[in-house]
Amino acid sequence: MDLSFLLAGCGKAMTSFFALTFLFLFLPACLIIYSIVPRSWKKYILLIASYLFFWFVSGTLVIYLILSTLSVFLLGLWIDRIQTQMKDHLKELPKEERKAAKPKYMRRQKRVVLLGVVLHIGLLLVIKYSGFFFLNVNGFLKLCGSSVWFSIPRFAMPIGLSFFSLQAVSYIVDVYHGLEKADRNFLRLALFMSFFPQIVEGPICRYSQTAGQLWQVGPIKYENLTFGLQRLLYGAMKKVVVADRLNPLVTQIFDTTNNYDGGVIALGAVCYTIQLYMDFSGAMDAVAGIGQIFGVTMPENFERPFFSHSISEFWKRWHISLGAWFRDYIFYPVTSAKSMKKLTSSARKKLGNHFGPLIAGSIALFCVWFCNGLWHGAAWSFIFFGMYHFVLILTENMIAPAVKSFNTKLHINSASKPYHAMQIVRTAVLVVIGELFFRAGGLQAGFSMFGKMFTSFSFSWLNGDTLSSLGVDWQDMLIVGITIIIVFVVSLMNEKGIKLRESLAKKNIVLRWSVFYILIFYIIIFGAYGFGYIPVDPMYAQF
Amino acid sequence: MERLIEILEDIQPDADYETCTNLIDGHILSSLDIISLIAELEDEYDITIPAVEIVPANFNSAAAMMKMIERLQED
Repeated sequence: MDLSFLLAGCGKAMTSFFALTFLFLFLPACLIIYSIVPRSWKKYILLIASYLFFWFVSGTLVIYLILSTLSVFLLGLWIDRIQTQMKDHLKELPKEERKAAKPKYMRRQKRVVLLGVVLHIGLLLVIKYSGFFFLNVNGFLKLCGSSVWFSIPRFAMPIGLSFFSLQAVSYIVDVYHGLEKADRNFLRLALFMSFFPQIVEGPICRYSQTAGQLWQVGPIKYENLTFGLQRLLYGAMKKVVVADRLNPLVTQIFDTTNNYDGGVIALGAVCYTIQLYMDFSGAMDAVAGIGQIFGVTMPENFERPFFSHSISEFWKRWHISLGAWFRDYIFYPVTSAKSMKKLTSSARKKLGNHFGPLIAGSIALFCVWFCNGLWHGAAWSFIFFGMYHFVLILTENMIAPAVKSFNTKLHINSASKPYHAMQIVRTAVLVVIGELFFRAGGLQAGFSMFGKMFTSFSFSWLNGDTLSSLGVDWQDMLIVGITIIIVFVVSLMNEKGIKLRESLAKKNIVLRWSVFYILIFYIIIFGAYGFGYIPVDPMYAQF
Repeated sequence: MERLIEILEDIQPDADYETCTNLIDGHILSSLDIISLIAELEDEYDITIPAVEIVPANFNSAAAMMKMIERLQED
């Protein structure tokens, strides 16, 4: 069958869950076929749909995903084989000899894990970072007066490489730690690695979170369908009404930054932060919604980050799966190293309970934030972004006892609502500054824009002419403002533990369907699409 | 158990370790406290706590920590 007509239409447009091709062609086709096939076939339909989706988006680069899955499968079995050999051998030995026999097998397992890490992270490094590396090497050589230079390698990057590579590493490490049994079913592992809603922007799942659920999918239930569609629509509202509507303004300000004063730049930084949140969390709502339709509970990637009281808390609520990956596979392994434990013990004796562990903690934190910055992209601005958060979190930890004693001395109630509100606003301001550097086209541009906010700040953008020169008007800002209020109210209710969809399900049919129709028409009427709007790719897909 | 509670009180005095069962989930012990705690527990009980053991289930209560310590001592 000739699928070229689909490929021509799909390709780039399919990367977004809110693209018409995906919403009205791919997803319904997938749901219909999934519904009509017998239960035992449903998981295979998901697998075929996932690989078709990947193929539509990345074409022949699907080979990366196949090879990655194959290597993870084989490495898992290899580790499992060593573990079985170890168990059998230890069983035969007297108890006192077992401890001495174990390290040999552990070393063999570690070598396999290392091979897996080198393969997956190495591939990611070569494809994503070799250009950046050689660019800097060439710059350094030029600075030294050398005429030698390296040609900059360029590789086609498959969609989701940064996400499924981390998933691959987590599976291998979890098998090594005995948290997971190596999967002997290649197709189940393949579905875990490729499930189409999560392949573009995550969340980065652990094997225990989704593999079993995906392999046991059953018929679509009415409640799952309605709840899933509601979540999908909510995500669509965030993305199409807010993120895409703000895109012209953000693009204009960040692409022609020299034309604007500090006030406009501050507006750009705030709008970009909102755009990024609405785009990424909207996509995660879609992932959770689509997963729920199939009866799969995807891990949440956002927990209302703008209610955070500190930067550390913010990063526990924003892109949760990435933070958890860095915590489990970098932070704790670094702090658990023998040398680090020794350092903590001796530092604690000299510096006390607070500052003692901070030394080892800050080394691990540095590794986490260096990798976090670099994960987002191969540029110094991303490394700066990581280091910015490293410094903020370290500072928060360092000054915590001083802040506590300051508050006690001045009788400031740190549990009061105004104090919490101040903390939330302060955290949001720090996040916006970080996002300014993140979005700016390079470090120099970032510092120049940041400096302007102090040297030439004004509210000139309140003038309607400035807004229209930025590609938006007051109506746009009003729609964005109203939608932000809706999202804020929903978030506030979630924060208070109110389960909106469950509450709605108990209401009468008229109210339930009214909410559905209001949401659909709200998106159709106020969404930024069609003539005059350039479709915006999912922002985290590029990372 | 008494010695374990002494260690915990030395690291973070603001908790009732006899009854508390959400030391991690309730954000009572921070990641820095955990780093200190691991170093102390390893010295005190002559065990090695690998990174994989650092999960909330093992640190949410003094009883859970004791259970983990005993298991690691047997290994």
